[in-house]
Amino acid sequence: MAHTWKEQLDRLMKQGAAYADVRYYPREDSLSMVMLNGNMRSFDKQRESGFGVRVLADGAWGFAASSNLADITGTFDKALSNARAAAGRMTRPIRLADKEVLSGRFISPCEEDTLLVPLDEQAAFLRKMDEAMNKPGVTQRVAYIMALSRQVEYYDTEGAEIYKETRELFPSIFVKGRDVGGETQGRSYSPPRMGNTRGWEIMQEAHWLGEAERIVRELNETLVAPKCPHDVRSVILMPDQMFLQVHETIGHPLELDRILGYELSYAGGSFVRLEDFGRLQYGTKKLNVRADALLPNSPGSFGYDDDGVAAQNYMLIKEGVLVGAITSRQMVTEANERAGREIFGSSGGTARATSFYRTPLERMTNISVDPGQDGSLRDIIASTEKGIVLSGDKSWSIGSNREQFHFANDYAYLVEDGQVKEVVRSAAYKGDTLPFYNSLSAVGDRSTWEVQYVPNCGKGMPSQVMQLGHGVPVCRFDHVKVGE
Amino acid sequence: MQMNKAIENLQALREYAVKQGVKATLTLHQEDSHLVRLANSGVSLNTSEALSRISVTTYGENKTATAQVMCDLDDTDSLFETVDKAKGMLAFASPLSYQPTFPEIEKSSQQQAGYDEKLAHISNEDILAYINQATQGLESEDVQLSGNFSVGATLVVQMSTATPHHVAWQASDAQITLVLASLQDKWEINAEQSATRLNDLDAPAMRARLAFLKDKYQNCPAVQLPLGPCRVVFGAAATAEYLNFLSFLGGDGGMMKRDSSINSMDDIGKQKLSPQVTLIEDPACLDTFAMPVDGYGRAREARAIYDQGVFTGFIWSQSAADEYGEQATGHDVMHRSFRLAPGKTPVNGLEELSRMPRDCDILYVPYLHYTGLVNASEGLITGTSRFGALLFKQDGSVVVPYNVRFTEKLGDLFGDKLQWLSTETCAYNVSSTYDARDPEALVVPQLMCCDNVKVEISNQSY
Repeated sequence: MAHTWKEQLDRLMKQGAAYADVRYYPREDSLSMVMLNGNMRSFDKQRESGFGVRVLADGAWGFAASSNLADITGTFDKALSNARAAAGRMTRPIRLADKEVLSGRFISPCEEDTLLVPLDEQAAFLRKMDEAMNKPGVTQRVAYIMALSRQVEYYDTEGAEIYKETRELFPSIFVKGRDVGGETQGRSYSPPRMGNTRGWEIMQEAHWLGEAERIVRELNETLVAPKCPHDVRSVILMPDQMFLQVHETIGHPLELDRILGYELSYAGGSFVRLEDFGRLQYGTKKLNVRADALLPNSPGSFGYDDDGVAAQNYMLIKEGVLVGAITSRQMVTEANERAGREIFGSSGGTARATSFYRTPLERMTNISVDPGQDGSLRDIIASTEKGIVLSGDKSWSIGSNREQFHFANDYAYLVEDGQVKEVVRSAAYKGDTLPFYNSLSAVGDRSTWEVQYVPNCGKGMPSQVMQLGHGVPVCRFDHVKVGE
Repeated sequence: MQMNKAIENLQALREYAVKQGVKATLTLHQEDSHLVRLANSGVSLNTSEALSRISVTTYGENKTATAQVMCDLDDTDSLFETVDKAKGMLAFASPLSYQPTFPEIEKSSQQQAGYDEKLAHISNEDILAYINQATQGLESEDVQLSGNFSVGATLVVQMSTATPHHVAWQASDAQITLVLASLQDKWEINAEQSATRLNDLDAPAMRARLAFLKDKYQNCPAVQLPLGPCRVVFGAAATAEYLNFLSFLGGDGGMMKRDSSINSMDDIGKQKLSPQVTLIEDPACLDTFAMPVDGYGRAREARAIYDQGVFTGFIWSQSAADEYGEQATGHDVMHRSFRLAPGKTPVNGLEELSRMPRDCDILYVPYLHYTGLVNASEGLITGTSRFGALLFKQDGSVVVPYNVRFTEKLGDLFGDKLQWLSTETCAYNVSSTYDARDPEALVVPQLMCCDNVKVEISNQSY
């Protein structure tokens, strides 16, 4: 097909396009299996194939996509005509930052492709997990696997040719029960991404049985626990909550398209302004955050983005000061123009599309907090006077500019005078983003650091879900409102 | 996108499945989608997608398996391969504790009442003309336009190998959001519209709302609200957001069985909400892009989930009914059609609300951003105000509040806290564009007033 795509791209350039790219998905296969209380309620295989064409003409973007390979020319023409129509209401002609023209391949590391594992083996695994969770106190149990394998060919009019082959596996287990007050409580486990792989080999039975036993035990502790007090405490966020805190209140507000107003009508804006880069004290000096698309084991690592730019690892927040953003070719140019100074040297390589029929957007890669020097979880608890340890993302709700937030958690226990005290139920905390990060008082060391993943980050119109990661340590924040 | 052609395609696939001896349901979904996205007063993206999907679910003894493909519908090899794949998967499906009911569609049905070719294929030029008319004179260097004009058509055909009959449904839809935002001050106001036909488009109404709100946001003082209880009038978007939660947390039988409901079987027949609340699932309500026949070929009928606050019973999808030994209620559709009956207070818009006599301050909240379900069994929902909140002061003045967060229980908002509902209703479009096109709207009173809604976070600025 390469010849066809290049021929079509050349044709668009001859018709006056300034730039065009095409992403062809020969195949994207996915598998989902959901076992709910022992019943395989969903057993689903999907295959998608098609192509999407993005054209820059007269300073505006046009895009068209089709699952029908019989109408390639018509789809390319549609993208061009959409661009020309868009140019009819344009305030700032789009310009793309320079990039190195690349020919490359990216194959995600994987020892055992989940989609090649016999289905009966996978079903048996889920059944074992289900049986392990079928214990007193548990009223609902879910075991889940979602796997995908995606092939993408990318070509653009600047000469880039890139082939990507990505395999992902997103498993989880989840239990629910009714607490002493009659309300529903839950506990779940999704494995962190450690090591160097994304395949079925992470499904080690002994490990998963241990995790199933743990979440059932912690659920039962929660079911009989007193309600979380409503007061002001230090919150100690475990990695399975810290990742979401980072995702919602560092990752999203630092997407440059949000900062420039491109998400205002849906996902929202950002409290961050262009003049904040290099100046804003986002957090205490303990806070170091990077966009690292080179971690081998995470869905936030992809080789090359959908602008054809190589994946990178760079700082967003250095010793608490805002220094970088999540950027693409279009947005760095516009940001520098609007700021009247060069804030961003080049694209950070974060433009990604969820499928062939969606356009690339600034998406988080692995937005990770560097490990700190405040020791282990035990060390952090020992130095906490009045706190609460929070684990498991139960619910989340964030202000439209990411300026404030409310999170609820599955599992929590109090800390008093450096000692672990009782488990509490229905824990939640809330706060304002900048004061929160400026109350960061402890960052755990490497022993506490885990790469958590997000399989379903939503953004954009038409809407897209994206898979990404967060490497995070245990962190403590002071003077936080807790309770419902 | 031709219905007859799609039916022929699916019939051919059905014949293949029958020849293979497969017991299966077959679904075809086609969409023509067009979305114009605006940012910083320009078109930031103009996109078109023509996508076709086939889904095949095979049935065995206490088993099902599904294979789906997105491809060219004329690529018969891929389509037949999907049947083969679903057939092959069935052997590996884990047994269920119940036998799933196999659809036997008794009579063919073709529904196109909600389809308008003129809306489905509205031109780029007409979209831009609408946007220009809706925002005429309202933009400036500081106040810039964002938004989405999403329009398209959806065609769904369903069959099973049990009979040669089909259920076919086609609809056109538009979901329009226009946002004016201040670059400097960061306030945001919006106007929204849902359409099933071209004639529904009303750019002057959009402009009137944006102009009213812009005037207030530019000329009225902005304030940080105090924490604590207040009287809130929710607009259609906010009401629809809460109502969407209420529809599944309150009325879905499967959710109840999975410990994610505010109701139990014991609640049937009890007064659970305010007598002002009558919530109906109404498959005749075209404004909701209603599907009058479900995937089992059942003609659907209007049904009150709450009748004057009394909970009448759960909705049961076929799969939940099979699993829990209940009777299916004809709700196996891509989306349901909920409408909240109007109230008795003749206050139906912002102008009227601003003139309404009041004995306390009234906080108008048109929209809730990023709501989160804190606790399903409590029906506890959190979210923040967005897009044009106003505070109508008791003394007759108006101020602009910074955004605030509420965390409230549905049972309270639609129960003791509910003061009044408007006499007029409107359709609020809640379609998601994440996956296959699926137009969905709720019909809600224009305004809903609740007392003692607690402000728990109050922003210090926009």
